[in-house]
Amino acid sequence: MKKLIWFTTVSILFLVFVVPAILALGIKLIPGEDQPGYDPNFRLSIYWTRVVKQQFVSKDSNLSAIATSIRNPNLKNKEEIVFTLFDSEMHKIRETIINGENVEDGNFTKFYFDTIPDSKDKTYFFTLSSLNAGPEETIEVFYSDNMPDWIVQFTYDENEKKGGLPIVLYYKPESSVVVIKDIYSSLFSRLLFPNYQKP
Amino acid sequence: MKKLLFLAIALRILVSIFIFHPDIKTYNFQSSFLKKGVFNIYNYLVENKKNLPLKDDFVYFPLTYFALGGYQAAVAPLVGSGFDSWLADAGTNSTVGNPHIFKYLLALKLPYLVLDIAIAFLLMLFFENEKDKKKAFVYWLFNPFTIVLIYVYSNVDIFPVILTLLGFLQIKKQKMFPAAFLLGLASGFKLYPLLFIPFLFLTGRNLKEKILLAATPLVTFVLIVLPFVSPAFIQSALVSGLTTGIFTSEFTTLGLSLLFFYALLMDKHINLFNYWVFVFLIVFSFTLFHIQWLLWLAPFLVILAVKKPNLSSLIFLFSLAAVVIPLLYQDRFMTISLFRIYSTWFDNLPTPFSVITKFYDTDNLRSVVHSFLAGGSLVMMFKVFKQDFVEGKNS
Repeated sequence: MKKLIWFTTVSILFLVFVVPAILALGIKLIPGEDQPGYDPNFRLSIYWTRVVKQQFVSKDSNLSAIATSIRNPNLKNKEEIVFTLFDSEMHKIRETIINGENVEDGNFTKFYFDTIPDSKDKTYFFTLSSLNAGPEETIEVFYSDNMPDWIVQFTYDENEKKGGLPIVLYYKPESSVVVIKDIYSSLFSRLLFPNYQKP
Repeated sequence: MKKLLFLAIALRILVSIFIFHPDIKTYNFQSSFLKKGVFNIYNYLVENKKNLPLKDDFVYFPLTYFALGGYQAAVAPLVGSGFDSWLADAGTNSTVGNPHIFKYLLALKLPYLVLDIAIAFLLMLFFENEKDKKKAFVYWLFNPFTIVLIYVYSNVDIFPVILTLLGFLQIKKQKMFPAAFLLGLASGFKLYPLLFIPFLFLTGRNLKEKILLAATPLVTFVLIVLPFVSPAFIQSALVSGLTTGIFTSEFTTLGLSLLFFYALLMDKHINLFNYWVFVFLIVFSFTLFHIQWLLWLAPFLVILAVKKPNLSSLIFLFSLAAVVIPLLYQDRFMTISLFRIYSTWFDNLPTPFSVITKFYDTDNLRSVVHSFLAGGSLVMMFKVFKQDFVEGKNS
């Protein structure tokens, strides 16, 4: 019985205090902020030359991926979806191509690219296009003019508007140790000081 | 004993406050309408679905609603004014980011803690000598499975479980009708105790007693649900997957039929305790079960492990297999997402299903583990039958 008591005590302490740290070792990217809210009725169609261009400011360094929700009605788009990232001078710095076949309708789709180490506080643009898709194979992204200030403006059909796509920026963490430290310090701060909010 | 109890409670509190399965919030949100005077939750949810932040049906039976809703009404002054709005919060991130979530989870899981500790003491009443009593107490409080089942997966089934255990205490005292009533009362929370009616029928000494024993839980159940019978109730609770899921496998029906006819035609000294254990071993062997269901059997396996120490290692091994099976479903809330209180960054991690699928067919692996459980359980049943037969012969 003593063995069982020890086994269970150690197992539960392991589950509560160690398992999250082990899971944290698997975190390769950290989201900047939660996905902003949007009205699903406001959508932009992307096909042929209908391209959306989004301006945003990266709030941290090591920008490594950008994600947004994409509709692919009836999974008709099986063409290339091209994500191109530009710096503030509109020099192309990264390009990621995925296939529409892999985008389920309404998927929160991530575009991964090589990490940009010095991305903190810099302005970027990206375009999203599907040049080989016809009007029947359109994909759709959501937009809103009521976005946080780092989602600056977007261009569609030669019209420039405030706000834009509900995107999430992902950053590569400095190291796993930093991730674990951040997770536990945030958890215990919230536990000990209920008014503490994660920065 | 006091030190052990203190340690057991401390471990349970740790799991309660740090690990969160969203089901507990959903059914407590639904039960919170009792405070506002809603009697028939099934109709209320269907009629007001459009305006409610959480749109799920109430899939449990009426006593769950009244037990949880009544408890919430009692602790309302202690949990604070933000509690109800937290229950109604549909935001997945704001829910786990709420600064009071630790207090709320502790409050919601407190009734489970009370019932859990009560079960430990009830289990002791099944034994005569002190050594066995202590064994049962320790086996219940210090096995990782029940802690995980109750506090990680927020298992509301603990209400019917304690009632079925009380029922078997009555059976031990040969008080069959109070036992049948308690099984009926338990089915007012969850339907599964009604599976046992055919075996209760067999223990009657004459036809009249057989019919009365079988009718008692059924009538109790009908009286409980009668005021709620409506299309909404039938759709949400009576024919929901949680209720009918047991019979999705033909092997389960075949196994239960075999067990019943064995008891009817071949067993001259029906031991109801064994049959209760075997019914659910068959269910878990052949049905795609919810992890919460495993609690139905847990206290009875503790009794079996104490009564038959030669089976305790096997029971531990089969329990491990049974807990692993549901973890291999493609369901984030069975594994990774349980830790979202620590950080929502875990949302970026793949589930065990996705990780294993990179190397091997996870569905196949789950079938292998399930077959292992089924084979082992069937042999264990045979062993218990055989042992009891030999012991009966010798005595």
